Amino acid sequence: MPADIETKQIEDSVAKNNNEVAVGSDLEFQRRWWRFEHILWLALTALVILDALGFFGRGWFAKAEAKTPDGSMRIEYERIERFGAPSLLTIHFGQNAVRNGGIQLWASDSLLHELGSQRLIPQADRSALDGHGILYTWVAAPQPDSVQFSMQPAKVGSAWLTLRVPGADQMRLKIAIFP
Amino acid sequence: MTTIWHAIFGYFYLVLTVRVLKRRPGAQMTPFEFVLIFLIGGVIILCTMGDDRSETNSVCAVVTIALMHRLVSYLKTRFPKFGLIVDGTPVALVERGVWHKDLMRRLGLDETDVMAAARVKSVKTLDGIKYAILERNGAISIIKNDS
Repeated sequence: MPADIETKQIEDSVAKNNNEVAVGSDLEFQRRWWRFEHILWLALTALVILDALGFFGRGWFAKAEAKTPDGSMRIEYERIERFGAPSLLTIHFGQNAVRNGGIQLWASDSLLHELGSQRLIPQADRSALDGHGILYTWVAAPQPDSVQFSMQPAKVGSAWLTLRVPGADQMRLKIAIFP
Repeated sequence: MTTIWHAIFGYFYLVLTVRVLKRRPGAQMTPFEFVLIFLIGGVIILCTMGDDRSETNSVCAVVTIALMHRLVSYLKTRFPKFGLIVDGTPVALVERGVWHKDLMRRLGLDETDVMAAARVKSVKTLDGIKYAILERNGAISIIKNDS
């Protein structure tokens, strides 16, 4: 046998059952594991129930609605989003949102960065960077009574989204983004 | 980078899920276990790869999972307690011809499973089994009754 190979004499080190079969069983550990399994399955069941209710997004609890005090906007959104999962944010405009024959909407840049806005329906006639956000303008008649942002969140964590019709009350929404 | 984190999370999440399944799939594969393997694999790959289906991304994901596997294998060898957690412990289902019914029930096994393993060893009837041991890899070892 080559000298550089480490060797060890066989020992009867594996625990035997009935002193005849070396099984190496650890029943005490197995029973502890079953207790852990039991707790884990309860936790996993709770996880699925919470998910079905929308506590991790895409469900009853996640859906939210907010309205500015002056009634210029009513926003339907999901207060809990999921990273990379498509979602919709709908803004319904009130009568007082129409100014000079057009509608303008200012959205903070978190709409693009954290919330990953992909598409706006209907398309704005103009959009321009304005401070830390974007100003969308619809001038062509008839003005939309609602617009919809299609989003796909690009960051995990929480995002503050500010929406405002210039000259009217603003709305600040906190949106959690789950991995 | 996201793929790497997803692969690491997916690996440990799968190890835990497969570990807490009543009957460890892999050794005695029935169509019932095939459903699990395909479905779980399909679901986890979507989350790991995301929209990025590039070769770079798939290579990174595969290498990360391989490294995780090496790490877990090393930890199993280095720390026997860790090995117990990942692989479990062998459990005697039959000892000297006596069934451990409570253990079998908790492991989600029945006499048919033991008999299937016994037939592989050319044991024709249940009373020909002296010991049946559920191994760490999910297989059932049979020691014949000599008498």
